[in-house]
Amino acid sequence: MRILVVEDEVKVGSFIRRALEEESYAVDLCADGPGGLELARDSHYDLIILDVMLPGMSGLQILETLRKEKLKTPVLIVTARAQLDQRVKGLDAGADDYLTKPFAIEELLARVRALLRRGTGEGMGLLQIEDLILNPATREVTRGGQRIELTSKEYALLEYFMRNAGRVLTRPVIAEHVWNLDFDTFTNVIDVYVNYLRNKIDRGRERKLIHTVRGSGYVLKGE
Amino acid sequence: MSLRVRLTLWYGTALASVLVVFGVILYGALAKALKEQADRSLEETAAVAERSLEEHRFGPFLLYEDLSQDFPELATLDKFFQIFGPTGQITIQSPNIKSREIPLSRTAFEAALAGQTTFESIRFSGEPPIRLISVPVRHGGTLVNIVRVGTSLQPLEETLHRLLIILLITVPLALLASLGGGWFLAGRALRPVEAITQAAERIAGGDLTQRLSVSMAQDEIGRLAGTFNAMIGRLEASFQQVRQFTSDASHELRTPLTVLKGETELALRRPRSADDYRLVLVSSLEEVDRMSRIVDELLFLSRADLGEIKMESRPVRLDHLFDDLKRQAEVLGHEQAVHIVIGLSEPVTIAGDDMRLRELLLNLLDNAIKYSPQGGRVEMSLVKQDSAARLSVADQGIGMSREEQTHIFDRFYRTDAARAHTKKGTGLGLAICKWIVDAHHGTIDVQSEPGKGSVFTVTLPLLASSD
Repeated sequence: MRILVVEDEVKVGSFIRRALEEESYAVDLCADGPGGLELARDSHYDLIILDVMLPGMSGLQILETLRKEKLKTPVLIVTARAQLDQRVKGLDAGADDYLTKPFAIEELLARVRALLRRGTGEGMGLLQIEDLILNPATREVTRGGQRIELTSKEYALLEYFMRNAGRVLTRPVIAEHVWNLDFDTFTNVIDVYVNYLRNKIDRGRERKLIHTVRGSGYVLKGE
Repeated sequence: MSLRVRLTLWYGTALASVLVVFGVILYGALAKALKEQADRSLEETAAVAERSLEEHRFGPFLLYEDLSQDFPELATLDKFFQIFGPTGQITIQSPNIKSREIPLSRTAFEAALAGQTTFESIRFSGEPPIRLISVPVRHGGTLVNIVRVGTSLQPLEETLHRLLIILLITVPLALLASLGGGWFLAGRALRPVEAITQAAERIAGGDLTQRLSVSMAQDEIGRLAGTFNAMIGRLEASFQQVRQFTSDASHELRTPLTVLKGETELALRRPRSADDYRLVLVSSLEEVDRMSRIVDELLFLSRADLGEIKMESRPVRLDHLFDDLKRQAEVLGHEQAVHIVIGLSEPVTIAGDDMRLRELLLNLLDNAIKYSPQGGRVEMSLVKQDSAARLSVADQGIGMSREEQTHIFDRFYRTDAARAHTKKGTGLGLAICKWIVDAHHGTIDVQSEPGKGSVFTVTLPLLASSD
């Protein structure tokens, strides 16, 4: 999952990025308003974390602009101003959630998970396709009751597949959302990792979940 | 005792005294006037009797009828007369004296012998007093008769008595009516005071938006209400200022706290290398220092706002200060290779607080260095101009726009360029400088262009005697 963080305080942006990356998210960090707006428009993000007090343009202005342009990406507003009217303003401007500084990292991560759930239309915490179950909170993956161990990147890839189950995902898209690459580099890292996943999830089982769509990309779905 | 009661009692006492004195004077004056009138009347009748005796050649065997026939005015009902012979024996008396015996008194007789008129009052028990006049009648150098006229003072007494009754009734009534009216009027006059008290109670309860309606702006109560409103207005404004300040302050502290919390929590989420921990600790220390600075500066400003900062006023040699601070600034600027020069300097003495002036200068120099480029130059200068000292600190740093110049001395204000340049500023340094300058009765202003540097100039009045 790819997340955009727009935050002007260097240290704050930095630890948010690190925390998200440790949870296997792909993160882009921007320290000013106009730059953040441009990035949000031009690239695809699964979630935007937006600070309100930004140089050049306020977070709320950016948010309003994005919503006017019909961008549906979930947005989490982060700010030092905690008063009621500020929170209401932020939510009314189009934010999906609101965090006040200083915040606990665990809470930030939980809210991120919640917003990502919502973004893909899920109500419950668990992601499930047939007997493959992924628990985002615990990062546990099981199939048929059996625990499956995945590396960080494998997990990130699987989560992305499961959140977009049934949709054909092209390589560039996978590269953006899981590797944070703007697909200029000629690399087959995606194929390699899809293979790894297949080995761990589909090998030795009757029903395969990860399918290749020739000419397009991959899709995860039950048969 | 309430003010209303007190006012009414004082007023009542004053009025009562006035009424009593007035009553006494009125009574006395009337009594005197009536008595004099009675005496004049007696004199006139006596004169008539005297004339009538003359007419009849003072014959010893005159009868009352002889006299009264010729002088009917002697036969008045309210007076009687007696004629005495030269030895004091009664010869004629008017019939209306009836059976009473009113002999000539010794005093009157002796006075008559001496040729003098006597007035007397006599009283028979159970009857109103009688006023008498005894007039000697002389003929040919000897006393021939004594004419005596008397009149009852009963009418007079009755009149005075009636007056007394009237006074005794009306004075208390008037007093009561006035007290009642006074009580009512005092209440009305004091009503605005009651309104002010109630408004004050509401304000004491926390509502500073209350104001009094000032209807009669010209009298004492009106002025009180006006002054009260002005005072509450100032209170409200200063509360507002404090509220704003506190809100700004807590906001400024949130960012370093966010960094501390976030970085620490992140570091604790899983085992890290010693180097990673070290980096986190170094960063935390930076934030702690930053918060320390904010708190120190905030404390200074809030104490300054409350008037708790005592400023000394002693002669201070600014040129000596300059030399000291140049050395300090050189240390500060070392890391960025910023060099400090003193452009102009001359002996200048002002009246002020040495410590605060050092703070002022150090703040300006610190800013100049902070926002200077690597290897930049900071120039200090000090001159005397008219009767003022002008010192300035110029840098070649990031500068600021005209718009930003108007806000630069505001609390917590940092330009975007400043924030981008370094995290170290608190936005309070120049606010503190301004406060120190104001406390020294001086002025501070800035000239700057974005990207081209800034010049901060402080003007302070010279010490009067030095020149």
